[in-house]
Amino acid sequence: MTDAPELDSGKLFAARLQAARARPYLATALYALHIVESRRVPTMGVDKYWRCYVSPAFVDCTPVEELASVLVHEVSHLLRDHHGRSDRFARRHDLTGPAERLRMNIAADAEINDDAFGDGLVRPEGAVLPKTLGLSAGELMEDYLRQFRLGNFPDDLAWLDCGSGADGLDREWELGPDGADGLTEQERAGVRFRVAQGIVGRPGNAPEGWRRWAEEALHPPQPWRDLLGAALRSAASAPGAGQDYTYGRPARRSAGVPGAVLPSLRRAPPRVSVIIDTSGSVSDAELGSALLEVAAISRAVGGRRDLVTVLSCDAAAQVVHPLCRAEGIPLVGGGGTDLRTGFARALRSRPAPDVLVVLTDGQTPWPSSRPGCRTVVGLFRRKISWSEHDPEYVRSGPPEWARVVDIGTSA
Amino acid sequence: MPAYLQSAPVSDRAHLSQLDIAGDLLTLLNDSTTEVRTDDQLEALTLAVAADLPVLLWGEPGIGKTAALTQLAESLDLPLTTVIASVHEPSDFSGLPIIGDDPAQHGVPMAPPDWAVRLVRAGQGLLFLDELSTAPPAVQAALLRLVLERRIGALRLPPDVRIVAAANPRSSAADGWELSPPLANRFVHLQWIHDHEVVVRGLGGIWPRATMPRLEPEKFADAVMFARRAVCGLLAARPNLVHQIPSSETRRGGAWPSPRSWDMTLRLIAFATAAGASQEVLSLLVRGTVGDGPGFELLSSIDRMDLPDPETLLADPSAVDLPERGDLRQAVLDGVVAAVRRRPEKSRWDAAWAVLVKAAETGPPDLVVVPATTLATLRGDNWEVPASIEQLAGVVAVSQGADRGAARVAAQTGR
Repeated sequence: MTDAPELDSGKLFAARLQAARARPYLATALYALHIVESRRVPTMGVDKYWRCYVSPAFVDCTPVEELASVLVHEVSHLLRDHHGRSDRFARRHDLTGPAERLRMNIAADAEINDDAFGDGLVRPEGAVLPKTLGLSAGELMEDYLRQFRLGNFPDDLAWLDCGSGADGLDREWELGPDGADGLTEQERAGVRFRVAQGIVGRPGNAPEGWRRWAEEALHPPQPWRDLLGAALRSAASAPGAGQDYTYGRPARRSAGVPGAVLPSLRRAPPRVSVIIDTSGSVSDAELGSALLEVAAISRAVGGRRDLVTVLSCDAAAQVVHPLCRAEGIPLVGGGGTDLRTGFARALRSRPAPDVLVVLTDGQTPWPSSRPGCRTVVGLFRRKISWSEHDPEYVRSGPPEWARVVDIGTSA
Repeated sequence: MPAYLQSAPVSDRAHLSQLDIAGDLLTLLNDSTTEVRTDDQLEALTLAVAADLPVLLWGEPGIGKTAALTQLAESLDLPLTTVIASVHEPSDFSGLPIIGDDPAQHGVPMAPPDWAVRLVRAGQGLLFLDELSTAPPAVQAALLRLVLERRIGALRLPPDVRIVAAANPRSSAADGWELSPPLANRFVHLQWIHDHEVVVRGLGGIWPRATMPRLEPEKFADAVMFARRAVCGLLAARPNLVHQIPSSETRRGGAWPSPRSWDMTLRLIAFATAAGASQEVLSLLVRGTVGDGPGFELLSSIDRMDLPDPETLLADPSAVDLPERGDLRQAVLDGVVAAVRRRPEKSRWDAAWAVLVKAAETGPPDLVVVPATTLATLRGDNWEVPASIEQLAGVVAVSQGADRGAARVAAQTGR
């Protein structure tokens, strides 16, 4: 320890330059790192304030190209908010103790390493890959955490201790929130935003994993169940459906206020019609869960089972029939593959529905005029469509008068 | 806590009823102290209220929105009026129609409720509209008129009455509360989240006491100028940020940019600057007014606003004061090279080299490599390379180190 070398900063800066050249979209983040020389960190580690602790001995014995890879790896922990996600995971699952944090560090490494290297960067010695853990590539840290235990992998496996920036557990060599040169939360968000914007703006050279990250950093996804529920609730309780005040009948309170005309609360359970149009490309599981969700929500807003009707198309018949029978929902058969006939049929029924819910993959002609009731479209998206020339391009989808909720496979 | 209970010790009052004794226990439980703690969301709320903009707090039930409002009212020295929206009828807000002797002659006046009358008589106060999300749509509609036009029936709320509303997030709302885009645009949306540590310490007897931001009149002129420069600078460069109606279901009901909300942002930046508020507070306010994306763009352009202007640097390279943070320094150097590219002249080219030399002397050399390479390509015919360029030797060494590393990677993967 006493004759440890001075930090060879020239070598480290050369490595940073190489990293920035190999991954131009990460340059802002790499330069935002504040490098701190530390003799107590085993190799290289980051804290959540974007300080990067570097051991001089590690720099001394590691070639430039490998240092470049390690820097990209460390900065990935910070950009992907692994410390925050670790904390949230630990809180949700009531996990405590350093062993669990080590597991989080390994899972986070696996998430990064499966597509971080190659294309100008070498894979450092002992880098944890999903394959090392016997797992498949391309998943998130949280998914990996559910799939392996500490005993599961070879004991001689070497990993990089990536510091609190990777797993949220403070290390003794770290300077902490009050130390010098850390980035504030706002500055960290700013760096992350800039990197994401750079990737979305020029996505040509960024790998799929980073593009997905950038997309989510700029537009965080929301669980479709919540969105579908909110859309359905607001459609079902909007004026004209559900419960509302009306002057059509005086309130009982009027008796206590002579001379005043007060409205009364009128309550009409909403009638919900579900149109299912699948063209055979939607899986039974997705369709089933969406349909059950619609039934549950319409019950929650005061609808009765007999007020929910389902209009099925042929392709979906196998899944819809048993579900409707189990839920006690009347099923209106037929309809045809053109969605417009489905709309016409649902609107023809008497009494007319208050809300139309359409579950479709969108590959269909839409009615040209707005129907007489509120429409919620649950859209099964198959592929993210994206155009290099116009990042704000949106595929032409359901008409404007419908409220559209993307139903994904996850969440 | 009732003080008279503390006058006699428990033992002397054995003859008292069980309920009085229970009161003693309650007193002991209520006995808590406070500690000073910075609370960004409370500070943001205070500034928005001070700026007289309607605030909408989004938060799960039971996480202390009401407690925060009580503290806010105390610190602003305003009486707090809480109205639980869900237990009212629309006529309580739009006014109760009172039919007089001759409606055809005098019309039907809309009588305001008692709390509104008291509020108007007091002339000032903090009106807290709680549980907006569980009120039926007609009540919400009536309430929004109160928030936006400050009218209750025939009454008009005095200007010193400040209004804050609270709503549950859509996912936990029992029924269909949702803001249409025009209404969402008029609010400052603040997400109210509980802090795990604060809750644990509070239950242990120590609650946080936020320090309220204090507006400093001597900063006002600068603050207004700064706010105008920040907003106009961004919008001049990014015209399509001026107005973006939210199209996706995810962003519905939240903040979005429009000339109105940019005006609100401008006001909030001025208030935050005059109060010396932190970047975190400013971030909450800005993102709560124009939405996350445009908000971030504004914040990072404010970040860059403090950077030295490339033209100033070129005019006097010796007086250069480059920022410490690597990514900001990189932005400055790129800006200098871009300025030379826009108007290439020998003197400007030389000045840019002087800036780069200074950057290499005062900070990490790897940042200088890319600007130096670009600047070299901008060289005009028979321009002599300045002598100072020799001081960039360290930069060249770093660049060569990176080249060799990259070559080794290529050799490894090539084979």
